[in-house]
Amino acid sequence: MTVELEATGLSVRYGGNVAVDGVDLAVPTGKMVGMVGANGAGKSTLINALAGWSRGTPVVRGTVRLGSTSMDGLPPHRRAAQGLVLVPEGKGIFAELTVMENLALVRPPADPTGRHLFSMEEIHELFPRLAERRHHKGRMLSGGERQMVAVSRALRAAPRVLLLDEPSAGLAPRLVYELLETMRKLVDRGLSLLLVEQNVRATLELVDELYLLERGKVVARGPAQTMRNDPRILEAYLGSLTG
Amino acid sequence: MNILQQLINGLVLGSGYALIAIGWTVLLGAARLVNFAHGQLYMLGAFVAWAVMTKLGVNYFLAVPIAVVALGLLGVVLQGLMLRPVMQQNLTSLMIVTLGFGYIFQGGASRLFGGDPERFVSPLQSAEIRIGEIWFTWQDVLTLVGTLVLFGVLWLVLNRTRVGAIVRSVAEDPKLAQLFGINAALVYIGVFVFECAAVALGAGLVAPRSPILTSMGFDEVILTFVVVVLGGIGSVTGSLIAGFGLGLFTALFGALVSSAYTTAAAFFVLLAFLVLRPRGLAAR
Repeated sequence: MTVELEATGLSVRYGGNVAVDGVDLAVPTGKMVGMVGANGAGKSTLINALAGWSRGTPVVRGTVRLGSTSMDGLPPHRRAAQGLVLVPEGKGIFAELTVMENLALVRPPADPTGRHLFSMEEIHELFPRLAERRHHKGRMLSGGERQMVAVSRALRAAPRVLLLDEPSAGLAPRLVYELLETMRKLVDRGLSLLLVEQNVRATLELVDELYLLERGKVVARGPAQTMRNDPRILEAYLGSLTG
Repeated sequence: MNILQQLINGLVLGSGYALIAIGWTVLLGAARLVNFAHGQLYMLGAFVAWAVMTKLGVNYFLAVPIAVVALGLLGVVLQGLMLRPVMQQNLTSLMIVTLGFGYIFQGGASRLFGGDPERFVSPLQSAEIRIGEIWFTWQDVLTLVGTLVLFGVLWLVLNRTRVGAIVRSVAEDPKLAQLFGINAALVYIGVFVFECAAVALGAGLVAPRSPILTSMGFDEVILTFVVVVLGGIGSVTGSLIAGFGLGLFTALFGALVSSAYTTAAAFFVLLAFLVLRPRGLAAR
């Protein structure tokens, strides 16, 4: 099994606070890896650090490799161009640009070897609503539609690894399942994906592997099958199943 | 007094205001940046054009493009020096730093070009057009047409092209733009270069109206400020309308009331405007 994305000893500090502490992580090619944990466990900080991106000014240590290429020291726009594409939590598109303009901002990679270029037809097939909404500005879209544009934008960049930070935030449960099922479909076609989620139940159903993060550290990891029965997961997140 | 003549004067003045302000409008709107050396860049634009004309014997129509390119290159250097506060959107630092640049330019220019008023002459300045009672020069026509063309092209680029969408995306959220694969630092440099080049063009077209001095620039930055704020910060269409509005106001106020108080009156209008419509003409 080849590894598409690998982080070793990743630590992130904000001032004196350690938000992520020595995390090792791997996303195998064509697999979907989930990262769950409580609020404040450091999930977003971790996924942002993989993309080399932050709205703050964190100090990041450790190494990140995309395939055989080191991402260390690369600014976020260069990582995106290499195929390490992040859809951040919350605001993921430009409110003052139309759907088309948002998608057209992304340039397909100069060297698309081994990467799948998503055509607009494919995007519209995945998210038919976007075809109808293409001339609407970002601020006129619903939360679900914005998330669809954000994901589509990432796909247009022909990601080698897609980093998806809490796509479910603020969405109705039905939309969450639809979106995550679409993501699973893409993984089955060859996409490698790291998903950060609060919705543990939905995540467990779809991912191949799961990491559990607590206070900036990975406290459990394994195949979804195994993790489903992990006492820490059962206790903290799936209590109603056993109770 | 001929009202039609004053209206023409107003339009000519106004196109100059709008032209000088456009760089700042884009800088503020597209990059949320300020540049208090704007007036001194205007002065430099005029003096570079003047110098290549008088020292190198280049003609006016080539000297202005040379000044535009020279100031554009200066923009690259300045933005390179300011990149850190720019990327952090640290407006206080930028205000002070650009004010400092302004003083350096002024001091440097007076060493280089001397402190005396110089005549920066456009051949079109003396080419007059008379229709009955009214008159204007071909330079006025060039300024008016140049302004309208520049604003038109700028509007099209910002609203109808991918480059424009990139600039607007960086204006809205430079951090998010990075995730779209956009190099925000490069966009900032581009916008800053446009500002410097546009103000040089403004100087090339407007400055021949009167003798140029290395100490000039303050009045220009003040009026630019009025135009940018009246227009609704960052609005291209708004600043064009505001430029013409201010020009007409200045011409009519000067002719009908008193030319000594036009700047004060313009600020009074700005004050009233800010109370009634704080977000400027372009506010939705």
